[in-house]
Amino acid sequence: MAVTYSQANGLSLQTDLRRKRQIKMALIWGAFLLFAAWCVNGTIIEDTDWSRIGGRNGVLASVGRYITIDWGLLPELIVPTIETFMMASVGTVLGCFFSLPVAWLGAANVTPSKTILYPLGRFLMVLSRSVHEIVWALIFVSAVGLGALPGVLAIAMRSVGFISKITAEAIENIDAKPVEAIRATGGNEFQVMYYGILPQIYPVVLATVIFEWDINIRRSAVMGLVGAGGLGLLFFRQMNSFNYGGVTMVILAILLLIVLGEIISHYLRKAVI
Amino acid sequence: MSVLSVKNLRVRYTAKGPEILKGIDFDVESDDFLAMIGPSGAGKSTLIRCVNRLVEPTAGEITLLGQDVRALNARELRGLRRNVGMIFQEFNLINRMSVMDNVLSGRLGYTSNIRSLFRHFPKEDINQALDYLDRVGLSDHINKRADELSGGQRQRVGIARALMQQPKLLLLDEPTSALDPKISREVMALIMGIAKELGVPALCNIHDVQLAKEFCNRIIGLQDGVKKFDGDTATLRDSDLEDIYAMEVL
Repeated sequence: MAVTYSQANGLSLQTDLRRKRQIKMALIWGAFLLFAAWCVNGTIIEDTDWSRIGGRNGVLASVGRYITIDWGLLPELIVPTIETFMMASVGTVLGCFFSLPVAWLGAANVTPSKTILYPLGRFLMVLSRSVHEIVWALIFVSAVGLGALPGVLAIAMRSVGFISKITAEAIENIDAKPVEAIRATGGNEFQVMYYGILPQIYPVVLATVIFEWDINIRRSAVMGLVGAGGLGLLFFRQMNSFNYGGVTMVILAILLLIVLGEIISHYLRKAVI
Repeated sequence: MSVLSVKNLRVRYTAKGPEILKGIDFDVESDDFLAMIGPSGAGKSTLIRCVNRLVEPTAGEITLLGQDVRALNARELRGLRRNVGMIFQEFNLINRMSVMDNVLSGRLGYTSNIRSLFRHFPKEDINQALDYLDRVGLSDHINKRADELSGGQRQRVGIARALMQQPKLLLLDEPTSALDPKISREVMALIMGIAKELGVPALCNIHDVQLAKEFCNRIIGLQDGVKKFDGDTATLRDSDLEDIYAMEVL
């Protein structure tokens, strides 16, 4: 079959395009590999004390120390495990309370002032998320001392960002029609929110809170590293006394607690949705 | 005296935007079931929302039940809105709440915050709601969620909610355009029957001219924010309709 002019022209144009794309991909991959090599050199090759590692056997021996379990620690584990669980739960509830006003300020369609309070709400959301929970815990440990209370406060502060952001977004996405209907009956602002807005957002908010609680169990397990109570404190003590079996035991307890939280939140979420 | 009197009503949504209503005058008498017809975009929905200030007018006078609507503060406005039942094109129900709670929400203007927080409505309100639900034919669906109902049933919930306000005026914003022709007729007949029974005048946006002629005693024709016709239904000629719908491109 004869190849027409347009077909021939189209083919050469296609090969041309292909080559250009191949060169572009090669350049992108080349740049990426160069960047990765630079990072590896900076963080691993230059930054590691190679002489201290002392060969393959040394590394295996160090890791191997953790493959024992100190069952004797079991009675000491019970109270901190419960404390960790409580810290996560109380912190999440407290975080919800803080989140409500922040979401109200930071939702564009209900905020009392678009110029001042809306940006403030958005700023608080970012602030809560951009500070790590350990840093929040350090701040509260220095403010209220050691124990579970700074842990609860740190978890509450860290939870505000996520819960209030999702809540604010849910408020912004509501259907305005029921709101209009409640307003038309002569309802006041509270009634408009409670009847018009809340029923529309509460499945999303509840699912978010359950998810956040799930994450907070993880967070509260490390709070003790900076003296804010729970399993983390026990972990820290085992590490300091070189009781490697104890460290493994604490990690197992944390694992168990997290799996438990995962199971509970799975069923809770199902019940809500 | 008229229940509602509107004079030279003008609306602009933004300072530089187009004028949606360009000086509308009309009255609603105490025995009126008044239809507002006109093509899409004529300003019917905007006009009806000016009456209870869901939309703020830019200029003009609105006198409702002897009160100057535009002069009311927030609290007085809520007091006025309680007296005006509104029925919507898309029903505007709270989907996640039961039929009963939706109907009771019509009483919110009369209910304290504490009571509304616990959805604890007075006994007489609940009995009244049961009566109205029976009247609109939904006695078997009281505890269903609103989003489980069909379109026609949802609009009946909307009607019961508006009646709970013990309204002195009904505002109907395209109450039938989301419904099929048979259900539309039933719903219009139901609303008109109740309005006559309770002696409540109604102002009804409707684009179905046939339904307007059938149910309403007076018709106002609106086109692009201007009133083109105002008179008894019997006096509406085909030439008037052509005039009202002249700008609509078919």
